Amino acid sequence: MRGATILKASDDKTKQLNNHTLMAFSGEAGDTVQFAELIQAYIQLYSMRNDTDLGPSAVANFVRGELARSLRSRHPYTVNLLLGGVDPITKQPHLYWLDYLASLAPLPYAAHGYAQYYCLSILDKHHHPDIDLEKGKKILRMCTDELQRRLPIDFKGMLVKIIDKDGIREMEFDCSKQVLSA
Amino acid sequence: MDSLLGSNPTLASNPAYSFSKAPYNSAADNKEHAFYPYTDNGGSTLGITGEDFCIIAGDTRSTSGYSINTRYSPKVFRIGGDDETGEGAHIILSVVGFAADGTALKERLNAIVKMYKYQHGKKISVKACAQRLATILYGKRFFPYYVTAILGGLDEDGKGALYSYDPVGSYEREQCRAAGAAASLIMPFLDNQVNYKNQYLPGTGEGHDLEPRQALPLPRHDVEQLVRDAFTSATERHIEVGDGLQMLVMTKNGIEELYHPLKRD
Amino acid sequence: MDSLVSTYSQPAFEDEGYASDELQELIHTKPSSSLSFALPPMPRPSAFLRALTDDHANPNCPIKLAHGTTTLAFRFQGGIIVATDSRATAGNWIASQTVKKVIEINNCLLGTMAGGAADCQYWLAYLGMECRLHELRHKRRISVAAASKILSNLVYSYKGMGLSMGTMCAGVTPQEGPALYYIDSEGTRLAGNLFCVGSGQTFAYGVLDAEYHYNLTEEEALELGSRSILAATHRDAYSGGFINLYHVKEDGWVKHGFRDTNPIFWKTKLEKGEFSNVTANL
Repeated sequence: MRGATILKASDDKTKQLNNHTLMAFSGEAGDTVQFAELIQAYIQLYSMRNDTDLGPSAVANFVRGELARSLRSRHPYTVNLLLGGVDPITKQPHLYWLDYLASLAPLPYAAHGYAQYYCLSILDKHHHPDIDLEKGKKILRMCTDELQRRLPIDFKGMLVKIIDKDGIREMEFDCSKQVLSA
Repeated sequence: MDSLLGSNPTLASNPAYSFSKAPYNSAADNKEHAFYPYTDNGGSTLGITGEDFCIIAGDTRSTSGYSINTRYSPKVFRIGGDDETGEGAHIILSVVGFAADGTALKERLNAIVKMYKYQHGKKISVKACAQRLATILYGKRFFPYYVTAILGGLDEDGKGALYSYDPVGSYEREQCRAAGAAASLIMPFLDNQVNYKNQYLPGTGEGHDLEPRQALPLPRHDVEQLVRDAFTSATERHIEVGDGLQMLVMTKNGIEELYHPLKRD
Repeated sequence: MDSLVSTYSQPAFEDEGYASDELQELIHTKPSSSLSFALPPMPRPSAFLRALTDDHANPNCPIKLAHGTTTLAFRFQGGIIVATDSRATAGNWIASQTVKKVIEINNCLLGTMAGGAADCQYWLAYLGMECRLHELRHKRRISVAAASKILSNLVYSYKGMGLSMGTMCAGVTPQEGPALYYIDSEGTRLAGNLFCVGSGQTFAYGVLDAEYHYNLTEEEALELGSRSILAATHRDAYSGGFINLYHVKEDGWVKHGFRDTNPIFWKTKLEKGEFSNVTANL
């Protein structure tokens, strides 16, 4: 135990819950992966038993319920989540923001921790309800550039995943270039 | 840097999660009994300006904790007057918070304004007096006067002037200001009734096209009524406000004092 | 022994009433330039002051000083843009929505105000006085570098006493061209192209960094400054009120309005489709 040390530079902080729902998590070490795997198991069990996937809003409300239940137990999970998914029936994309106190909010864009302070204003300005994937990637780049520029942390690369009607795929994302402030 | 981000607890504390508590010092483990020179004597004050007048008012109750010290301890004063009666004063000052500091501040400003007159052979302008009061308050930046002051008078053009202060002397000229215990009750009322905040002209449009109602200087009669309403209402909902309402009205003819009884329970 | 007796045999209330410096003040009506401040009679006055006024460490502190802000300034080819919000807060109470956080030091120097309102107002006014004295003594205008150094040396001499200010000095002088400095009460003094200061700084940086470059046109620069403050007022609860916008050029500064954020917000949202997180459907 040596405090702030990077143990792994390429840690995947997401879990795929079913064909078109992905959950990203941050928070207390241990809690995060335990909770994510628990949820993943529940959602996968549901898919196997019923031969159909839960939609994103159903998943989000289920996760919130689990988090709320845990909050009232002796050892609550301190985990913050972002849940993204495409509804298998309506083909509509959804994003849910959940924090460790089991607040749930459906949002067009969201962030946790310090990223909120730096990125939300960028998203407020550049996000529009009808943007395409290319524009989305551009906005994401603006956000990661700002984090690299202003956060006094080098977070050793980013992992980007895209969720659309065809499922979930990882995207090539290079942030090795240094970004300096003006 | 902490102090700048002070209002943003997550940025000020360093742990990496947005949900971590900012560290705080608990007073439980070691109790300190030290010199404590302040107390809060409650009460509220209020100032409103019009085209050619300025009104500053304050309730006259003085409290400490849940006890009432007296039902008549004025919080509004004449500054720069000739004698005990304040005859010939051309500036009014209200102070609310710690009464002893209030009195000290009043006397200090009064002395300075008088000395100005004797040395320069003319009365100090309200603008200069306002700046001077700011430096007086800031002079005790590291041992503040525990008061919120409001200064009023007529400016060089004869228009009503009102300046409000924080305890260490940041100040601003305004149309109206409430201070003291019931400031949070009175100020929203004033925003709506003096500056017409959140009032729109009916029939000028739909939704965001609605035109806001423009604020105009109010006539004296209306302002006096607003002040009375503000204090009777504050008396209903705040324990530290009541007993009496003292109003000083400054016009080109001098200062007029009005008194209205408030509920005494 | 005699000296000991005389030391301890002064009348107990000799210092009561007006202290000698206060009497001085009554005779010389202008404030003394020796900058002496009253201190409470105790071993560590700064700790006493902090217990009284630091609402971050102690939310129930008796004296709440005005705090919380977003201010920004940036250099570009056409000069310097300075923009601020106008809200002053004391705890959760909005003390004022109409604060002028851009302080006009003289007709070509601007200062911004973040942190303690009184600290900024007083010391920037003092800086204005020093700048004028410099002008009279040397028959030329002070450089922004020198002005900002006066301020930083001054606040550094009070370090640890609890001053709280984060200010930017912006000005254009013949020697330097457009110059921008950041000075805070810790003693930091930095020259730079772009600074945002206050509780809403990160939000303003987000918008500003994404589109900032030195060759912005005047119109683009004013819009970017104003939009960055709008972003901060939208996300930071301690910022709000009006957008105060200034442009500093070679021949002095120009004011570009003190405009209410609310109509600007709705105009931006409805005409440009931004702020898509604000929706009518629940």
